[in-house]
Amino acid sequence: MSERTHTPRAKGAGAAGSGLVDVRRKPATWTGLWYVLPFLAFYLLFLVWPSIVGLGYTFTDRSLAGGDVSFIGFDNWNETLTDPGLYESLWNTLVFTVLSVPVMVLLALGLALLTDHARRLGWFLRLSFFAPFVLPVAVMALMWEWMYNPSLGLFNGILGQLGFEGSEWLFSENTAMVSVVIATAWWQVGFNYLLYLAAMQSIPKDVYEAAAIDGAGVWQRIGRITLPLLARTTVLITVLQLIGSLRVFEQIYLMTGGGPNFATRTVIQYIYDSGFVGLRIGFASSMAYVFMVLIIIASVAQFRLFSRKEA
Amino acid sequence: MRDASHHPSPSHPPPAHGVGRRTLFTAALTTAAVTAAGCGAYDPLAGERTRLRQWNLFGGGDGLRMLQMHEEYQAEHPDIDFRATTFEWGAPFYTKVAMGAAGGRGADIATVHVSRLESLAPGRLLDPIDPAALAEAGIDETMFLPNIWEECFFEGQLYAIPLDTHLLVQFYNLDVCREVGLLDSNDRLVPLDGRETYVDALREIKAATGGFGLSLDTWGPWSNFWALYRQQDGELVFGEDDFELDEDKALAAMDFLYRLSEEGLSPRVSQGADTSANLANGQSGLMIHGNWEMTTLDATDVSFSVTQFPNIFGNHRTRGDSHCYVFPHQRDRDPERTRAALDYAAWMLRHSLSWSEGAGHIPAYLPVAESEEYDRLHPQSEYREAAENVQFEPDAWFSGSAGRLQDDATGPITALHQGTQTPEEALEQLKRTFRTMINAPAPV
Amino acid sequence: MATTTDRPAPTVAAERRGAARRGPRPNVGRIALYTVALLAALLWLLPLLWSFATSIKPEGETTVTPPTWFTANPTFDAYAQVLGRGDLIRWTFNSLVTTSIVTVLTLIVCVLAAYGFSRFDFRGRPWLFALIIGGILIPPQTLIVPQFILMTQLGLVDTYWGIALPQVVAPVFVFILKRFFDAIPRDYEDAAKIDGAGSVRILWNVMLPLSRPILTAVGIFTFIGAWNNFLWPFLVTTDPDTMTLPVGMGTVMGNYGIQYAQVMASAVLGALPLLIVFLLFQRHIVTGVAGAGIKG
Repeated sequence: MSERTHTPRAKGAGAAGSGLVDVRRKPATWTGLWYVLPFLAFYLLFLVWPSIVGLGYTFTDRSLAGGDVSFIGFDNWNETLTDPGLYESLWNTLVFTVLSVPVMVLLALGLALLTDHARRLGWFLRLSFFAPFVLPVAVMALMWEWMYNPSLGLFNGILGQLGFEGSEWLFSENTAMVSVVIATAWWQVGFNYLLYLAAMQSIPKDVYEAAAIDGAGVWQRIGRITLPLLARTTVLITVLQLIGSLRVFEQIYLMTGGGPNFATRTVIQYIYDSGFVGLRIGFASSMAYVFMVLIIIASVAQFRLFSRKEA
Repeated sequence: MRDASHHPSPSHPPPAHGVGRRTLFTAALTTAAVTAAGCGAYDPLAGERTRLRQWNLFGGGDGLRMLQMHEEYQAEHPDIDFRATTFEWGAPFYTKVAMGAAGGRGADIATVHVSRLESLAPGRLLDPIDPAALAEAGIDETMFLPNIWEECFFEGQLYAIPLDTHLLVQFYNLDVCREVGLLDSNDRLVPLDGRETYVDALREIKAATGGFGLSLDTWGPWSNFWALYRQQDGELVFGEDDFELDEDKALAAMDFLYRLSEEGLSPRVSQGADTSANLANGQSGLMIHGNWEMTTLDATDVSFSVTQFPNIFGNHRTRGDSHCYVFPHQRDRDPERTRAALDYAAWMLRHSLSWSEGAGHIPAYLPVAESEEYDRLHPQSEYREAAENVQFEPDAWFSGSAGRLQDDATGPITALHQGTQTPEEALEQLKRTFRTMINAPAPV
Repeated sequence: MATTTDRPAPTVAAERRGAARRGPRPNVGRIALYTVALLAALLWLLPLLWSFATSIKPEGETTVTPPTWFTANPTFDAYAQVLGRGDLIRWTFNSLVTTSIVTVLTLIVCVLAAYGFSRFDFRGRPWLFALIIGGILIPPQTLIVPQFILMTQLGLVDTYWGIALPQVVAPVFVFILKRFFDAIPRDYEDAAKIDGAGSVRILWNVMLPLSRPILTAVGIFTFIGAWNNFLWPFLVTTDPDTMTLPVGMGTVMGNYGIQYAQVMASAVLGALPLLIVFLLFQRHIVTGVAGAGIKG
């Protein structure tokens, strides 16, 4: 928090600081609160209140279909913590994260390096690599489902023409998650890519020129200068990507519905399936809390790691 | 932000055209927001007409026929502001119905499976239908087969109006089957009764097409399993904390499906639409699918016909269900819209010959089902007798079309087709699934 | 910015000319580099191109195996069919309305809150700020169940407000904006104060003009985020009349059957609005991301 240099409290009386000089002290101390209030109202109504109410739901057998609600103690919590479905979906979420994070970081780095060196194509490359990022998820899902279609799709068509056996892509337990990761990488890598690109282009030229005078080749310059100078950006991207990947839901839901055989059902989808498809509000709430706690722990751990790196 | 980057001209204003564009854009946005916020959804046609919103789940071949019928309905009822929406078949659709009803803003009328009535919490997520009001629209119980009409009640209260019976049937590609010599002089499929005979025929077809013998939906295969299981008189009963399943019969059914894909007689992966495409483009000669796929095939150039679900275990039993109309719960149900909804349902029943003609569904409305016009429909008449072979699913809050049972049981059976599980493994998973469902607290 | 150099840039155009004139001589390495770069870019555009190629085929040609890129009889019939249904236009309109509400409200409440935290001292301030920053850690996806129930109780299911309001809670922007305001020197304000300006006028006349770039960035990212938001609008809309574009496309089936040209036409149409926005605001988006990255 920035330190308060004494703002003369003579100004800004009352609600909106009418600009009249006012020497009373008390009301002035409330001015800041008035500014914070609108956001605070949203925050309390849509974030804090649901968090509290949701915690209450976990102790009931509340159903989306209405009907009588009764208090059932820790039944939902017990069921959640012993539910193989939850662990399966946690595992799937983890698999997605472990597969997607390295891809999303390294791919972004590679594409940014390409762009940074092929300067004359800069605008075109930026356009190509970032454009998918602005597509709505439904559009991306439709496009990839169509390309992945086992019998009519482009990918198996090309593989077939090259004499290879096609893949089942989204329709096999073994390949569905990888297929989703590939599509996600195409869709979302643009953001990380731009972060890298900006960091690269803020590296002063003279650093490179000095190295060039020393006779370092392109690869040496990348290895000795670019990559070390990008370490901070890499950490930032990795942290953001990890947190983002853990919350994955929508593209998987649209492309596979969590199938085949629940091989791609993520935690968020399991919460959705339990609460809205299965109508069990209480059970879904306890699951959501378990996941929320896990995410917060993961986030805090990362931020601590991150700030230690920073120091 | 800017000062940290090494871009030139951090404090120069952006070029003028940029400002113009941006300002315009922002102004447009703000205007849109201001005009739209506060008023309801954008509706250029809103006026004095009665609003009627219909939801359905006909995304396949029958959806196209439903669309045509709706156009006809709209043309005859210019005073109704009618709009129908199709959601993705299955859980996505039922979830939307439940969530809309929970929010008190469900559709005016929706098409659901009668087997799902119990899972939709009649009385809470569904509003009851007044038989007197229905009679005013010209529909009463004498117009339906008693066994279907009874399905529409919950705790003595009417909640549904049946539209049809639909079932799994067998399609065949005439050109492919003729080539293999499986057609009689009338171009009808020769009887292929019993497992061995049937599989031999599939091998011959595969040899001819170079693709498959039988195209079937491996993505929602529970129905196929249920038909094969019921052909052996397999019983499935769900009790309070246990279930009754004949494991040998279940294994026999699973083994049959497993071998089909294992031997390449059927695809390892085939979704709804791909399944028909494989029959239409001659990749396979036979197809097991719902009668509704007729429309999809009609839209292609393929010449095909339809017969009953194949007799694998000694009879032609098949899985079936009924589509029916229900009233999702509305917080303040408008009597005029309710009347319009009933009139719409009555109109659809009276025109259900078209529904049968296009989608192959067997009409529930007797005046149509017993009409000469219906008799003359081909290939519908080829599987008329299938209606008595229809096997409904066992009673449970999780059973029924796109119910949890079907959803959760899909996994192991899909795995059979993919070859990732043996029948024994799939059976174990299926039993685990049943157990999970029995142990789950009923949400309705 | 297309080019970043250590030379003082006279103008972008002159710079381009210069680069073209004084470009390094091509050699094998450079040719390889540009080839790889071009191939990568084409690979990235492939899904978009393939969707478009499919969408202009006659329906009968989409299921031909092996797939072909070009059709002898290109047609925009699928587009006519899709647009004729009217859904896409309605959803685009809904997206525009809800996204605008979210963007405008987010900017207003976040700017006010950031200004309040940055320039005023009031009771409970550090505690309140910590509470709000703590909110960054809570994944909104885990609150969907109680949020939906809240909306049923407020009667906001299937309304624009129901879609928009919960999306306004973006504590991370309060944090970013506050940091930006903190970095603005107070001399400007002091000058204004001497002229007798109140806090509202200082915000309006001093702070906002100085923060235009970050406000643009926050605005654009809120806009893109809200436009492409799927989960919440997907839950809170059941009536197709109120659905947003991503939700409508993802949940309402067009009775396509196996009419892949129409499916792809709708995908192309659904992609257009934001692609256009992206092309218009490319520079702002790029610098916005860049700024976020550099500021870390």
